[in-house]
Amino acid sequence: MGRMSAPPAFAILCEHFMTPHSATRSRSVLVIPALNEERSIAKVIAGVRATGIDVDVLVIDDGSRDATAALARESGAHVISHPFNLGYGAALQTGYKYAVREGYAEVVQMDADGQHDPAYVPRLLAPIRSGEADLVIGSRFLEESGYQMGSARSAARVFFQRVLVFFGGPHIADPTSGLQALSRPVFRFCCSDFYPSDFPDIDVLLLLHRQGFRIREVPVHMAPSPPERKTMHAGLKTIYYPYKMLLSTFRSWRTKPSPSAAD
Amino acid sequence: MDTTSIDLDTLRRLAILQPESASTRILSLLLCGAFLVAVLTLVHRGRLREEFTPIWTAVAVGMMIASVWFDSVRFLTWAVGAWTPSSTLFFFGLVFLLIVSLNYAVRLSGMSAQVRLLAQEVALLREQLAEGERAKGDAAG
Repeated sequence: MGRMSAPPAFAILCEHFMTPHSATRSRSVLVIPALNEERSIAKVIAGVRATGIDVDVLVIDDGSRDATAALARESGAHVISHPFNLGYGAALQTGYKYAVREGYAEVVQMDADGQHDPAYVPRLLAPIRSGEADLVIGSRFLEESGYQMGSARSAARVFFQRVLVFFGGPHIADPTSGLQALSRPVFRFCCSDFYPSDFPDIDVLLLLHRQGFRIREVPVHMAPSPPERKTMHAGLKTIYYPYKMLLSTFRSWRTKPSPSAAD
Repeated sequence: MDTTSIDLDTLRRLAILQPESASTRILSLLLCGAFLVAVLTLVHRGRLREEFTPIWTAVAVGMMIASVWFDSVRFLTWAVGAWTPSSTLFFFGLVFLLIVSLNYAVRLSGMSAQVRLLAQEVALLREQLAEGERAKGDAAG
């Protein structure tokens, strides 16, 4: 699995602070980025516990103004709070950095709004543990899952799928899925500066693919996203997001893979 | 010879309709192109983050449109009540720079608040750490 070496300065820092695996610790950590999710966070953590899966639960509270952090801690999760809001991508990356420092072998990431079913965690981890893949995406669109998406968003999804293939990337049915599992080399690689603060999308997938990481999708069912999510792409953002994504995908395409990915 | 027979309106129309020069157009197109390439290169090298680029891309594209379709500048000149296209360009250039500086001042204010918060958190953590070390030292001694 040691296909990648980490970005040098950060690797030195991480190995320095890395603590040996304690007996009580799982080999995987479930990272849940959360922003003002006091209504759902406790239920989500209870849902993870109910499945009986052997993972440590880490909630990244991205500067919430409500009781998200306190409720998550009460539910038995480990909580890291950002002093102010940094963005979804930055919250994920904090989770990756923690996982690197604490010596976890795998990271699973899941949203805090209750859209994802934790019962899929073993299915996501399986291809990584068998060594078939480095990044596993829980995909809503691999089979008839009955997932409803607005027509504008599905048009955007198809467009970005084609952009990814156009730049030489793999065909990914659900590139924006927040339910993913990452092997240690992948999340260690994602600790570097290229990782976006807002939304990791096809730009990150293209970069990982070009680095030689194997990306695999597994079919999952998801609950529809809550209505307030839709405002995220409203107004100016409908113009800005595709612009920004094309630009950062271009950047991924122009970035030469680091030589250590070849071995 | 009656030099006062040209009225001001005609004079203004003449000023607005003055022909554009081909070399100015080429120069401005080249500048816009170079500017776009510079933005892309900075993004590629990771020295400019994507979220700071829309304004510069919009300016470069807007300037390109103005260079190719000069009548748009003439129309703007007429609409804002200016006399010459060049003063229109200077006017909008200044307005744009004002807005950009204000925008950066706002961003800077936000960042200085964040830096203060970060420094305070680090200071508090450092104190907590030192306190812990001291307690450990006391327990050992």
